[in-house]
Amino acid sequence: MRTHECRPLALLVVLSFSILTGPAHAQDADALRRELEALRQQFATVTESYAQRLKALGDRLQQLEGRAAPAADAPTLADLARPRQPFSLAQPGRVLLFDIGVSGDFVTDFTSPTRERRHDGTFAGRENRLFPREVELEFFGRVDPYASAVVRISAGEEPTRGASSSRELSVRLDEANATLLTLPLGTTARFGLMRPRFGTLNTVHQDDLPQVDRPNVLARFFGEEELDGERGIEAFWILPFSTYHELSVGVFDGDNETAFGRGSLRDPLLIGRWRTFFELEELGGLQLDVSAATGSTADGHRNTVIGVGGKYKWIGAGSGFPVLTLAAEGLGGFRGVDTDSGGDGHVERWGAYAYAQYDVNRRWAAGLRGDWTELPVERGREWSLSPYVQFKPSEFLRFRLQYKHTDGRGAVERSAEELFLQGSFILGAHPTERF
Amino acid sequence: MRTSSRPLRCALTALTLIAIVVAPWSGAPAQSRLRVLATLPDLWAITRAIVGDLGEVQVATRPGQNPHDLEIRPSQFVLVKRAEILVRNGLDEDAWIDPIIESSGNPRLLRGAPSVVEAARGLTILKIRTGPIDRSLGDVHPSGNPHFTLDPGTLPVVTANIVAGLARLHPDLAEQLDANRRAFLDEVAAATRRWSDALAPHRGAPLVSYHDSWPYFYQAFGLEELGVIEDRPGVPPSPQHLVALIRQMRARRAKVVLVESWYPSDTATAVARAAGARVLVLPQSPGAVKGTDTYIAHLDFLVTSLARALME
Repeated sequence: MRTHECRPLALLVVLSFSILTGPAHAQDADALRRELEALRQQFATVTESYAQRLKALGDRLQQLEGRAAPAADAPTLADLARPRQPFSLAQPGRVLLFDIGVSGDFVTDFTSPTRERRHDGTFAGRENRLFPREVELEFFGRVDPYASAVVRISAGEEPTRGASSSRELSVRLDEANATLLTLPLGTTARFGLMRPRFGTLNTVHQDDLPQVDRPNVLARFFGEEELDGERGIEAFWILPFSTYHELSVGVFDGDNETAFGRGSLRDPLLIGRWRTFFELEELGGLQLDVSAATGSTADGHRNTVIGVGGKYKWIGAGSGFPVLTLAAEGLGGFRGVDTDSGGDGHVERWGAYAYAQYDVNRRWAAGLRGDWTELPVERGREWSLSPYVQFKPSEFLRFRLQYKHTDGRGAVERSAEELFLQGSFILGAHPTERF
Repeated sequence: MRTSSRPLRCALTALTLIAIVVAPWSGAPAQSRLRVLATLPDLWAITRAIVGDLGEVQVATRPGQNPHDLEIRPSQFVLVKRAEILVRNGLDEDAWIDPIIESSGNPRLLRGAPSVVEAARGLTILKIRTGPIDRSLGDVHPSGNPHFTLDPGTLPVVTANIVAGLARLHPDLAEQLDANRRAFLDEVAAATRRWSDALAPHRGAPLVSYHDSWPYFYQAFGLEELGVIEDRPGVPPSPQHLVALIRQMRARRAKVVLVESWYPSDTATAVARAAGARVLVLPQSPGAVKGTDTYIAHLDFLVTSLARALME
């Protein structure tokens, strides 16, 4: 019976909930609908805003692209056939604490079969070959606040005097030296393996020479690469005068086999140079140098070489072209030798070169060099004449064509005709050109 | 074998004598007058305006000389040797000064030393390369375009750098240097209004130049860079680049091709002739033309010449 009594009560409760909850559900749905509508409107506004911004950016991009390459003219067949600009593989943002440079210097020496057979051309053992004279890897930069350093490693075909041609590449350490920058008394000093400051061209690397080959007098007195690869220490000063005066003094092992060769600091190679410069403003600039090197030869004789050099350069106003360069350098050698009778003798030898170069513009230059030299020990002398043309597509690429006629007497008796072709390139960092 | 230590003794004696001779000059005691060296003529002109009669300002390059492929001359070693403060561009335009300093025996001017002012510090540099950089792009400036002094709007920062550098070594002159700077900036501000007025009728004019020397100038005076003839610095332009440039110039009716006075004008003349424009040879540094050895006189010359050329 109690069940029947409870039924109306339950119905009442359900009805009450129905009456009470019905309007609340309706209110929630309305609110949600309004919220949804608001979100839809916001979404539409944002979409529209972004569409406008995208359109604006697209228009701007189109405009910029249009400026860079106008689409007015379709590329012609000739346009399509032209070679594209070179692409690059380097990545941006590389940071190194020193510079790296690579230079390549390739030379061809065309000459007669006789010169090739006798290996007595300018590039002995490499006649009628295209050979890498010097491919150089160079690292340079600051060591710390007090010093800078340079390391040069090179590979190339070395000169030979034997019966066979030189074909093997030899790799060697050309230079490795540190320069001390903060010494007292205005002194700058470097130590290690280096090209010493002697004469005008000794510090110039093979690929930077004014002509394809090193002048005869330098090659005869010191070897094809002149006075390079010396181990020692060198100090230099810019003297405190109103004009430029540089004084350098060096003490080296004396490893150069052609001129010295003792290779010991017990009897070192001493080198000194004084160099001055006269700034002639519109009339150009004139550099003069006087050098001396004295050391001991491998057989214990003293050899002293003195050098006097001069270089004049006139540079056209405005674009810096044309440029006229006149340069000359003379050497005198005073060397002790063994006489035929077994005693000590003495030979005195001289030699010089002079050249004139005219740079028409940034790309083209032509010049003429004349050489005359005696042999440093043997009896003999030679003279040569070398006209040349130079083409530089850019600062980093250079080609040269040089003809050389040589006439020798005594130990170098011959008449040689040679044609040199040279191609040089620089990759990466390169030192600034000097006067 | 005959060996001797005599040469070694001679060398040591020679070194001692040199030291005795050089010593009196080498200490270079601090002087009250400033001895400043600027690497480039624009920095020289600006620094001179600040230093006034407080010292002497030398410049390491001749006005009108192209600083991009400069050849080191021994006379520059003497200038570096004598200077106590160096004002340099701060980007890559005067990197040639580093080997000179390293061989001059004046370590005070080594990069990073307190005596060195980097004029570009704090500036917004234009045209900083972002893609791969190598020499196929020519002799590019990886740090950005260095010709910022052609925008007079950069001078407040540039002169502040110079004054800070000079006052660092001569605090006693700081006040005078700052007064000189303010006076100079006032003059430049007045001149800038004049220059803006002169070029206002040509706002947006498309211009072509031989070298990429003018982005700051264009930005300062609302001009448009339509193109550069030497698209890869230091490398003569390719025929296809010139053909495309001439097409653009014709389409946009470009009137003037600017050529920096140290570049050959033959290519620019050919381009201008083909596009119906005219060549305007302009000095890029103060002092290259007589009577333009101050910053304001130089900019006066540039603005007047350009306004006249655009008017024709």
